[in-house]
Amino acid sequence: MTFLQPEILWALPLVLLPVIIHLINRLRHRPQPWAAMRFLVAATQSSTSQAKLRQWLILLFRVLAVLMLILFLGRPLAGGWLGWSVNSAPDAIVILLDRSVSMEGKLTGSTTTRREQALSSLMKAVEPFAGRSQIVVIDSALRRPQPLARASDLRELPATTATDTSSDFPGLFQAALTWLEENQTSTAELWVASDLQRTNWKPDDERWQPLQAQLTALQQRVRLRVLAISAESDQDTTVTLQDALRTDRDDRAELLLAVDIQRSNNQPTTLPVTVNLNGTPSQFEVAVEGGNLRWRQRVNLGAQRGSGWGYVEVPADANLHNNRAWFVYGPPAKLRTTVVTDDARVGRWLAAASSAAAPGTQREARVLSPADAAGQTFDGDVLILWQAALPAADVATKLDAFVQSGGALVFLPTGKADAGQFASQGWGAVEKAAENQSYTVARWEEKEGPLAKTEEGFSLPMNTAAITQRQMITGTAPALATFADNGALLTRQTLGRGQVYFLASLPLREWSTLGNGPVLVPVMQRLLQTGSRRLTQASLMQCGDLSAVDQALPWQPVEGGGTNPQIESGIYRAGERLAALNRASGEDSTEVATREEVNGALSGINLQWFEETGQNSDRMQGEVWRLFVTAMLLFLLVESFLVLPTKVTHTDNLTGKSVKRRPEEAAEVVS
Amino acid sequence: MAPHRGSSVEFAEYRNYVPGDDLRRLDWRVFGRTDRFYMKEFEADTNLRCYLVLDTSASMGFTGQHGSRLDYAKKIAASLAYLTIQQGDAAGLVCVGEKVNLDIPAKRNPAHLQLIYDTLEQVEAKGTTNLVQALHDLAEKVRRRALIIVLTDGFEDAESLLNCFQHLRFQKHDLVMFQLLDRMEMEFRFDRPVRFNDLESSFNLVTEPNSIRDEYLAQLHKHLARLKQGCHQFNADYRQVILDESYEKLLADFLSERANASASRG
Repeated sequence: MTFLQPEILWALPLVLLPVIIHLINRLRHRPQPWAAMRFLVAATQSSTSQAKLRQWLILLFRVLAVLMLILFLGRPLAGGWLGWSVNSAPDAIVILLDRSVSMEGKLTGSTTTRREQALSSLMKAVEPFAGRSQIVVIDSALRRPQPLARASDLRELPATTATDTSSDFPGLFQAALTWLEENQTSTAELWVASDLQRTNWKPDDERWQPLQAQLTALQQRVRLRVLAISAESDQDTTVTLQDALRTDRDDRAELLLAVDIQRSNNQPTTLPVTVNLNGTPSQFEVAVEGGNLRWRQRVNLGAQRGSGWGYVEVPADANLHNNRAWFVYGPPAKLRTTVVTDDARVGRWLAAASSAAAPGTQREARVLSPADAAGQTFDGDVLILWQAALPAADVATKLDAFVQSGGALVFLPTGKADAGQFASQGWGAVEKAAENQSYTVARWEEKEGPLAKTEEGFSLPMNTAAITQRQMITGTAPALATFADNGALLTRQTLGRGQVYFLASLPLREWSTLGNGPVLVPVMQRLLQTGSRRLTQASLMQCGDLSAVDQALPWQPVEGGGTNPQIESGIYRAGERLAALNRASGEDSTEVATREEVNGALSGINLQWFEETGQNSDRMQGEVWRLFVTAMLLFLLVESFLVLPTKVTHTDNLTGKSVKRRPEEAAEVVS
Repeated sequence: MAPHRGSSVEFAEYRNYVPGDDLRRLDWRVFGRTDRFYMKEFEADTNLRCYLVLDTSASMGFTGQHGSRLDYAKKIAASLAYLTIQQGDAAGLVCVGEKVNLDIPAKRNPAHLQLIYDTLEQVEAKGTTNLVQALHDLAEKVRRRALIIVLTDGFEDAESLLNCFQHLRFQKHDLVMFQLLDRMEMEFRFDRPVRFNDLESSFNLVTEPNSIRDEYLAQLHKHLARLKQGCHQFNADYRQVILDESYEKLLADFLSERANASASRG
């Protein structure tokens, strides 16, 4: 514990004053001849244990009251973090700093961000240890140990600046553990500064358990101190890119932007949103009713035929690192569909529907047998229509990778029993409608997806589709279209960046009328559009999420002010490749890991909590003072309560009932 | 203990004759000399025997701010002996220590009073008490109905004491108990640890009085309440006396209450 007036602590032995007074008092006993000895002996025998306990408690509370007084006079330093941390200096202090986007939120009524507040507290705490302990900083973005010579260097280190990354605390602790194992210090302290964002701490992550075991198994004594920056931030609006789809039609190129806007304030407002395309800004007024909004906007690319970049931006607010969403787009691409089937008729229908191209667009379809498909890589495809036995082994792995990278994969029924599964879905029984009857489609998703309304607002004629044969879909994927008997016609499941669909019928006459142009062609075109993300998603990346191959590329900044695509968002170019780096997903979450969860994740480790609730550390200091004064008063109050004489029970001579009176009152009654 | 006019040998006074007076008590000699009717009156002979039982155990030697308990008891005993003999009744004294060391039989002779005074002057508080046995013995020894006045601190076992009282009442004796207590014993106010030395033995106890005060007072009051209730039950007169009270007032109250009680009995 640190004190502004540590010399007062020399008075600490005074806590024994009540004990000494008590002992002196006992030694000062005077002799008294006594006649009523039998009552004295009886009283001593019956009240000894209780009286002794009371005496000890009185003594204890007196000692504690004096202790609190001395501590109060010593002016304990505020910042719990600073104040309480000073025990004997450990050999090593490893600072684990959360540099995620959420740490860039400014504290209410202040220009200081949470990260800056954490650094400020850490600097004060580190100062007494500079030169006495080995101090190392490991940040969440790079996870590389950086030695710290002086406390003031903490703010200057490149490893403590703002980033657009997320934090992975199990990984961060692993880095600290590695450092501790490599540097065998006898005592070490881990100082963690974080806003406890749940997506960063991942309390349910399975890596925590081995980490606990390894940390507790270390030979050196490790203490853990967590500085939770729990101070509130001002109102914040975040913008996240969901989609940037290029469409080319009739020599007209458009970019369909889908952006999620999330606000901490739920009041309806009009938000000025800026879309900057290749350096040219356009402003839109967006009416926001509640907290969240998905805003879709078509941006005309004009004569721009090649690739380009841009960003969507909302006005500056409490967190400057979540106000911009970056995107890039490529030149018009050929959208290829692969139909895998043994049925030539199905192949023809589907290939025709998926290769129907509007002027100015390029569509291509190929039909493969399942056997041929096994040797394919599907690199150039955006849509795969699979009407064969559900894939297994290598083919399933390839298809999974295809979907994960953004492609669209549709499974169609074969009419045969199939025990296989893909993405936890599979095929069930084949059912045929009674003669002259059909299964009707009762409900379908019209807001988005392959069955959505047209741009002009017309619904697809799903209700007129007559389905006479169907193969039931098993699994729990959400249905986009269902029959009147609640059976699913079309299900969709998201895997990575892409989607997997199961369609319960075939566009053949003996199965259904889905093969009619008004349904099949628009559905195929929309699936192609969905799958075309595969071609652009590779260029839409998140900070901290670059693959080893991507990291090795010679990235040059184009826009955004950053220089390192691994930690700073913006537009980067490596040779011909243009990439948009956005802040890590999950950083917009306001969910915080509770202390119990963190304690659980780090159970078995000596852990101490500290909390920063605001930027004014003096306020914290005052609270500590009050704590001691309050404790002292409380102890004195309890002590005075304990020394109060207790009531004595007497039997009333007249009524024979027990009556509680003070001893003096009882004496009057008897005499 | 109030004097009654009656037919005894000791002359009391003359008074004028009123019609209806017994002519046998008319003093004819005075009539012969003065030619007036005077009635001759004599002190009544109540034949009262009063035994003053004084506890002289060491506990009676307790001395508070207002003097020793035994001295206070002696003053009461001497006063009551004087009043008794003065009104023509017989007074006796039994001093009870470890054993009955002094037993002065009840006599109404005024010279007997001096013997009681001398005895009271010499007696000292020492040893343990044998009050219970002494009272039982007294109940057996005194055949005629008597007034037994017990002066004690009453710290013996309450049930044993009440047994004696029952015994005395059974023998038709009139019983009065003066329980003499010091305010220090009643309030038990000490501000620091005290070594309590037992007056009747070598036992001592060092304790923090504040910590046991409540329990001590509870025990004491329980004992006193039992004695009071027992005396009430056996129709004995129980009187608790605090040593800082004036003994003159105590006696005045006692005598007037007894006179009232006698008058009401008739």
